[in-house]
Amino acid sequence: MRGNQTVVCRCEEVTLEELLKTIQTFKCSSRELKLRTRAGMGVCGGRTCRASLDHLISQKEGKNPTDSIPLKYQPPIRPITFKNLGDI
Amino acid sequence: MNKRIVNHPILDTLTNKKDISFSFNGKNHKAVEGDTIASALLANGVRTLRYHEESGNPRGVYCNIGHCFECRVKVGNSEIVRACLTPVEEGMKIDSLTQYPTPLKGGLRHD
Repeated sequence: MRGNQTVVCRCEEVTLEELLKTIQTFKCSSRELKLRTRAGMGVCGGRTCRASLDHLISQKEGKNPTDSIPLKYQPPIRPITFKNLGDI
Repeated sequence: MNKRIVNHPILDTLTNKKDISFSFNGKNHKAVEGDTIASALLANGVRTLRYHEESGNPRGVYCNIGHCFECRVKVGNSEIVRACLTPVEEGMKIDSLTQYPTPLKGGLRHD
């Protein structure tokens, strides 16, 4: 496969290499990783990459997966146009 | 260029249904009633449904069950829908989403 160049977050095109570098330099939690790299903030709302981000962090932190705080499910649960939101 | 599978070893031959014509990026295509936009375009050999708003990379169908939003297309002049979930209608005008200009970053110039 493409090794570290594998795209983890398709919506924001964040590669595994970027994620690993961010984790390595900042020793961050999954939430901070999301804030720093935008991985998980795309249109799909993290459906594609949330699990991999959490797994990546729990792997790096060496804890078993249930200890590290997982990423939240941010509203809106599905993309909504301003037209529908504001009902203009 | 019709890539529709008409004879299938398990599903047998396709029952002929009503033809539907629609346009994608200004080009006219034929589809069968009951097709989604994604399957209709795939049958016409079109796999690139949109371009990434930041990098301009071509994107197409990924999950095909409405989760990943990779197949979003513009229908009519302002409605953005998921191609894999939206059935094709007669005379539908579909356009793909393209890369956004980044004038402040000296990027793509859209005059």
